[in-house]
Amino acid sequence: MLPTPTKAAEDSATAVAVSDLRMRYGDRDVLCGVDLTVRRGEVFALLGPNGAGKSTTIEILEGFRRRSGGEVSVLGADPDTAGPAWRGELGIILQSWRDHPRWRVRELLEHFATYYEHPRDVDELLERLGLQEQAAQECQKLSGGQRRRVDVALGIVGNPRLLFLDEPTTGFDPVARREFHELVEQLRDEGMTMVLTTHDLHEAERLADRIAVLIAGRVAACGTAAELAVSARAQAEVVWTDDGQTRRQITPDPSQLVWELQQRLGGPIPGLEVHRPTLEDIYIRMIREGETQ
Amino acid sequence: MTIRRALACGLGRGRLEITHLLRTPREVISQLSTPIAFVVLAMVNDDAIPGSALPMANVFIAGGVAAVVVQTCLIALPQVLATEREEGTLLRQRTAPEGMTAYLIGKTCLLLTQVLIGIALVLAGGAVFAGSGLPAGLGDWLTLLWVLPLGLLAMAPIGAALGAVLPNAREALAWSMMPVLGVMAISGIFFSITSLPEAVQTISQLFPPKWIAQGVRSALLPDSALAAETGHSWQHLQALGVTAAWAVAGFTLAPRVLRRMARRESGSRLAERRTAAPA
Ligand SMILES: Nc1ncnc2c1ncn2[C@@H]1O[C@H](COP(=O)(O)OP(=O)(O)O)[C@@H](O)[C@H]1O
Ligand SMILES: [Mg+2]
Repeated sequence: MLPTPTKAAEDSATAVAVSDLRMRYGDRDVLCGVDLTVRRGEVFALLGPNGAGKSTTIEILEGFRRRSGGEVSVLGADPDTAGPAWRGELGIILQSWRDHPRWRVRELLEHFATYYEHPRDVDELLERLGLQEQAAQECQKLSGGQRRRVDVALGIVGNPRLLFLDEPTTGFDPVARREFHELVEQLRDEGMTMVLTTHDLHEAERLADRIAVLIAGRVAACGTAAELAVSARAQAEVVWTDDGQTRRQITPDPSQLVWELQQRLGGPIPGLEVHRPTLEDIYIRMIREGETQ
Repeated sequence: MTIRRALACGLGRGRLEITHLLRTPREVISQLSTPIAFVVLAMVNDDAIPGSALPMANVFIAGGVAAVVVQTCLIALPQVLATEREEGTLLRQRTAPEGMTAYLIGKTCLLLTQVLIGIALVLAGGAVFAGSGLPAGLGDWLTLLWVLPLGLLAMAPIGAALGAVLPNAREALAWSMMPVLGVMAISGIFFSITSLPEAVQTISQLFPPKWIAQGVRSALLPDSALAAETGHSWQHLQALGVTAAWAVAGFTLAPRVLRRMARRESGSRLAERRTAAPA
């Protein structure tokens, strides 16, 4: 079955194109016009607090939920109508699940390899994820971290072109998190496109080529970590004391404001501080603004 | 091409699920319990079928065959579906191309194996230990060959739909157990129902179990046993009509319900249940 091209599909360099995506549950709008573009070969992070709509977005892209409105193209097809050949190009890692409890690790991976046109070698996959010793164990007997590695193995056993990961490291200890980050980096080096969600800014900075900040169903900012940092630093906070009171003002041009203050006060400015906010400051501020809306 | 792959994946799945069944002692025991119970019931009862010299054992053995079909389709199947939906097995299937098709094919293989093993155990156990009959000729075997598949086709889609709509495995069991046992009780599976009130006998004729049991009796017993049958005949035509009607209804309803279930499953629903249910 040929994928059906949609208006949102741009060109072969685009893996995911989303425009004006809307989702409504009952009378509540959870996504209010999301625009995104994911390029082939990049790692794209959807960053946002709980309830921002990250899972809703990623599950619409995966073809697991029908959107209420907007244009979506994933690998050149509309997820709502795309067929099995399209699905074979995707890998999906959802938040922890406990499926197939009685299946042994190797037989589960070997079984899922049969669904795909060009699957990965199961032995190589077991070795890569450090699961050789668990190959003959039932999934229900694995530890949390081992189980998670099985999820990852199942996500990539079909050798997907595009891999979706929904909060992949939630509940990981620091070692597991580090190992997982290294795995994502290896897969990126192999050319796999990845879309991941996280509520952790540092994880997004560490893994993603580009980040979209999703707040209350809207993309509040989008770009590389460096671009976001630059735009964050573009707004400086100037603090000073006037009549014994602390004053603060946000400005794109702190030097100009300081100059004006000196003029007005006719000399040195008491208690002067100029802050360049970090990306984290800005992220927290965006979340707060989203909450007060 | 994809159809062939889906079939291959489904058959592979069926083979693995059968292996899992056989290597889990708990499953093997519950698999054996219905056949053993009916064979024992047939062994301890020395009565004759009313109005004939034939042993009652035949009634229990035929009832056991029907019970295997009913229990596998209406109790085991909904439970397994609800469980696999809850733990995310179905969602995992959804992530793979043609995964749901393969899942259904695999489940069909498993169900057929369970039913065939159960029926073989009841018939053989009855013949060896309880003196019940086996089909006497080609005609009687052919009767089994249409009654049992049709009975399965009548019951399995209903069980699948039940598993798809009930909220979880525990409720699947609670909701399916009582009505199923009730229908089985009035269907001549545990005892001959000619002594029951007319109205109850009429109700039982609306459901497949009575016809499965009666159809099996018609294959095991000579016509001299007919005195104890409700219609004083084997009523093959009615059996065919009622089971076929249920099969048609089931195959109309079940695919819709299953499709809806598959569509509704998502990662967040899974996570929601995870947080809602104590781990
Ligand atoms: N199936 C659903 N029905 C109704 N509301 C939902 C459903 N799924 C999610 N929501 C709501 O939509 C909002 C966004 O949810 P979600 O996409 O899971 O956010 P995130 O993944 O960013 O935490 C939340 O407020 C959640 O309660
Ligand atoms: Mg989420």
